[in-house]
Parts: sequence; C-alpha cells; structure tokens
Amino acid sequence: MSISPYFRSPFTDITGGMISHQMLGNCQKQEMRYMDCLEAYGLDRGRVKCGELFDDFHECQTKTKQFKRFVAIRKERERQIAEGKLKGDEKFLSPRVDSF
Amino acid sequence: MAEACQIARKQDLPPPGGYKPIPFKRLPAKQYFSGYAMFAGYAGMTLVSIYLYNLTCKKITKNEIEMRSAKMAIYPMLLAERDREYLKQLRRNRDAEAELMRDVPGWEVGTYYGERVYKLLPPDALVEPIFHEYYAHSSPTEWFKRAYIKLQS
Repeated sequence: MSISPYFRSPFTDITGGMISHQMLGNCQKQEMRYMDCLEAYGLDRGRVKCGELFDDFHECQTKTKQFKRFVAIRKERERQIAEGKLKGDEKFLSPRVDSF
Repeated sequence: MAEACQIARKQDLPPPGGYKPIPFKRLPAKQYFSGYAMFAGYAGMTLVSIYLYNLTCKKITKNEIEMRSAKMAIYPMLLAERDREYLKQLRRNRDAEAELMRDVPGWEVGTYYGERVYKLLPPDALVEPIFHEYYAHSSPTEWFKRAYIKLQS
C-alpha cells in the first residue's frame, strides 16, 4: 500500500491526503498505533512487523469482518427457516426500533 | 304658394330654456383622510397591535421555556434508557447467535469462524456491532423501519 510518495515536495503536498481518523472517529486508537509503528520501523520493515496493527486498523475502517459475520449469520438463519427448524415467533428476534 | 306647408316635423332642437352650462372645472377625488391623519392612524394601529401581540408573546415564551427545560431535564434519563436497552439487546443477540450457530462447524460466538474481529483486543472486550450485525436476527420489516427512520431524520 502506498502511504506517501517517494520524494515529498510542495508539489506532491498540493494533492496530499488531509483526512484522518484523529479528529472524529472510532478508529482513532487503531490508526495512531499503526502510524506510530510505521514511523518506528519505516515502510518496508513495517509492512511485516506491523501486520496485526494494520489488520485492526483496516478492520476498523472497513468493518469487513463484522459484515461477513452478519452475512454468515443471516444466511444460516434463512437456511434454518427454509428447512423449517425455526417457525412462528422464533423466526426472528427484532430489537426495539429506538435502541440502536 | 302663399302658405308654405306647415307640416309638424320632429326637429332636433335644444330644450326649452337652452342648454345648461357644461361643467369643465376639475373634480378632484374626495379625500377621506388627510396625510397626517393617515400617518397618525397607522402609528396608532401599530401601537395597539404591538401591545396586544406582546400579551400573547409573553405567554408563549414562558411556555417555550418550560418545554425546553423539561426536555433538557429528561434527556439524560432517556439516553440512559436507550443505552440500557442497547446493552440488553446485545446480550440477547449473543444468545441468539449461540443458539443459531450451534451446529455450524468452526463457528465461535463473537468471531468469524474462529477469527476474532479485532486481534489485539482481549477476547472478552466489547466490540460494538455495526447496524447490520445489530439487526442480524431481526425480521426485514423491523430492519427497514429502523433504516427508514434514519433516512428520514
């Protein structure tokens, strides 16, 4: 992944990325840890050493694993409903509409 | 002919006594109020209406203040109740997930087939669910209802 250009100059700073999770966001801690690790090890070594930190940060940003969990749970539930194992009131468990 | 035929013909003659004089003088419009009277009337009506408006305005302001104070007073309680319900629902969701995925090979509750969502958090740390996860066990109507409210607001 590319974090910053090879040679940084005012010309590359013009279109630099100025957004981060530091000001407002759930991923502030994860991003800070990952960036600190990268700063300590540099990009090449950091790719290997900071792998887990990167995975946490990536998960926080994109929430892929949580979404995959949802897909798996939903599929299983629908399969069980089609099978007939769940019926009537047990088919779904709905939260209160104003609780999220 | 000595006598001219005197046939009584209808002639368009002026009325007896002559025409009345033609009025050519200007007739300006009738002025009900003078300029000063109009300004005075405007000022008077404005003052009276300001007084009447303020009578109701005070009542309404007091009412607004009361409503706002009441809302501010109960807001923390409502937030707390919402959070309580949220946590209770998280527990119910976890139990439903355990029940549902009992026979699925490799599945552990709170993970994705054994792989933890955040690797560097302790295993019993609370990972707040996303909207889809929270509504994973719900009927589609309830889910869309909640999504619709979000879009509306």
